[in-house]
Amino acid sequence: MSATLVPVDEAPAPGASRTKPRLAAWIGYAGITAVLLLFAFGSPFFLTASNIATILTQASVFGIAGVGLAIVIIAGGDDVLNGGIDLSTGAVAGLAGTVTALAAAAGTPGMVAVLYGVLVATAIGVVNGLSVTLGLRPLLATLATMGVAASLELVFSQNLKIAVTGGFFEAARGSVLFGIPLVAWLMALIGAAVWWVYGKTSWGVNSYAVGQNPTAAQVAGLDPRRYRLASYVLSSALAGLAGTLLVARLSAAVPGIGTQILLDIILVAYMSMIFSRRRLVSVVGTVLAAVFVAALDNGLTLLGVASQWVGAAKGLLILLVLASVTLRGRKNR
Amino acid sequence: MSTIETLAAPVEPSPGPVAAYSGKKRGTLQASRLVAPGTLALILIVFSVLSPVIFTVGNLFGILGQVALLALAAIGLTLVVRAGGIDLSIGVALDLGALASAWLIHDGYRAWVAVAGGLLCALAVGAVNALLIVILRIPAFLATLSVWFAGTSVQQLLTGGGAPIYLSAPLVPDGFAVIGRGYFLGIDAAIVNAVSISLVVALLLGITRYGRKLTMAGEQPSAARISGLRTNALIASAYLLCAVIAGFAGVVLAARSNGYVPGSGQAYLMDAIGAVFIGATISRYGRVSVGGTLIGVVIFGLLDNGLNLIGLSFFWQDLARGLVLLSILLAAVVLGRAKSRPATGIFALLRTTKHQALTNTAKGNRK
Repeated sequence: MSATLVPVDEAPAPGASRTKPRLAAWIGYAGITAVLLLFAFGSPFFLTASNIATILTQASVFGIAGVGLAIVIIAGGDDVLNGGIDLSTGAVAGLAGTVTALAAAAGTPGMVAVLYGVLVATAIGVVNGLSVTLGLRPLLATLATMGVAASLELVFSQNLKIAVTGGFFEAARGSVLFGIPLVAWLMALIGAAVWWVYGKTSWGVNSYAVGQNPTAAQVAGLDPRRYRLASYVLSSALAGLAGTLLVARLSAAVPGIGTQILLDIILVAYMSMIFSRRRLVSVVGTVLAAVFVAALDNGLTLLGVASQWVGAAKGLLILLVLASVTLRGRKNR
Repeated sequence: MSTIETLAAPVEPSPGPVAAYSGKKRGTLQASRLVAPGTLALILIVFSVLSPVIFTVGNLFGILGQVALLALAAIGLTLVVRAGGIDLSIGVALDLGALASAWLIHDGYRAWVAVAGGLLCALAVGAVNALLIVILRIPAFLATLSVWFAGTSVQQLLTGGGAPIYLSAPLVPDGFAVIGRGYFLGIDAAIVNAVSISLVVALLLGITRYGRKLTMAGEQPSAARISGLRTNALIASAYLLCAVIAGFAGVVLAARSNGYVPGSGQAYLMDAIGAVFIGATISRYGRVSVGGTLIGVVIFGLLDNGLNLIGLSFFWQDLARGLVLLSILLAAVVLGRAKSRPATGIFALLRTTKHQALTNTAKGNRK
């Protein structure tokens, strides 16, 4: 392990990728356009305004929680075993939804109920962040808090569906602004804000540095712990918000939904790599991926594909994405 | 984006952690290594005060019988983690093993055909994992995650949307039933199976050349490759073995429950991961081992059983498990950090930044 042998952290040559994007960089877009065109031709309903609104509403939950996970991956590095991952995000979303529904059922005004949910979620995020900064692997720390959050959800809800009623949640579900659902605007707003923070400010640039090469970042005087702690807190807060949106959409907090949406959130965050020429997890890519995954679910259903195949399609999709990403990485090296 | 691109520019990792890694301290017992056995003892003491039944022989064997399947799954995972990977698809291998064997018994095949069929189906899952990870070089976590997705779909498709298979007891051949429900010298067959597989894997990892090679391929992949080990074959073999062991757990499950319920295997995944990494805390080098994994498995088993005996609803069980897992791992990390500065053992494994620096250098050497 002499110093000369120690190479770069798989980084492609910066100059080459900046000047001319390779053909492979567009494969992701091409594949997605092809799939969407297939749906558009396959079903006359796919491109109707109401269906697009449905897709955007469905995408917003995964999109917002996915942006949180993307932040964790940005600040922790995309090596899943040792780097950033937040397995608790789905369970935290479920817990926040349950807390919100319970608070609303007890008569708390809607906005305050949502705040309670997000606060509980943030508390779990603080536990995640502190465990990780103490030196625990994120995979294990968030695995443990995932169990805790899922169990708290059961304890609070007694494994019963909690219906929410009231103008606030109906407004959150039904409002449309300029033809686009309110929750989709919320997703776009959060996406834009996080993109600005992590793409344009020094905090964001430092977060990328800490994630890509912690040793170098430390030598340069950055403290990785600050950025990581913040990333887990943010991730859980966003997951909590997504959970309350899910409750608003379903008009109820459904127990056990957290573990079901975890896989979709992970899929969305990692799929953002195909929208990035440098195969990094990105915020804008996450939002686009959330829309695409929702469109995929919707389109497959419209085409009459049995729901069993949708899971297989998603699994295949992750594999295709990852294979293209790995191939691109090899070519660049 | 341009600012980000400059950040990913070549930066030489400092040689610090690598130098620290070579300075291993022997001799003094690290307090962190006692955390897992200590927790086990504490749980035993607390529950034996709360409930007098827990220490009866019948109850203890009951606990072992309950955790036998988890033990099998976790031992398979131990192999993979020792080889430096992770397998989220053990539940799929387990389910497909159960599905194939239950199906074959249902169609009237002999016991050995059903067992072989179950193991073969599980082996196919392992082969897919190995292909994705070793040949396509997809990160293990994501590759096995997508196998989990796809495997769940495959189960639903094979069972017509998730219909369980029930076997009527008189039609099940004795040779199959004995795998899950038999008694050997008065001991539950599931325990016998788990113990014998544990022994085989412990010997495989502990005293054979294969075990040492596998450990080396997992801990120092580039050094292993340079010194001429066929790391690809070794890592692939770990995934195959893991899938077969999980598939065997599935066969035991099918024989024990007289049938197959889709998606039942994934319940073991989280506990198995927890048990394996609890087990890693008892090693000086932070190495996962069969013995450590079994301690983790028994901790989970005792916890579930004890909570049931004192009458807490199952809603609280995941909470207790999560808290115990978190506190064991945190205690191990914190105690280890206070004791010795050079990051060895569990701390090199659990501590993210140092380990990441190490794996980055190792990864870079791979061409």
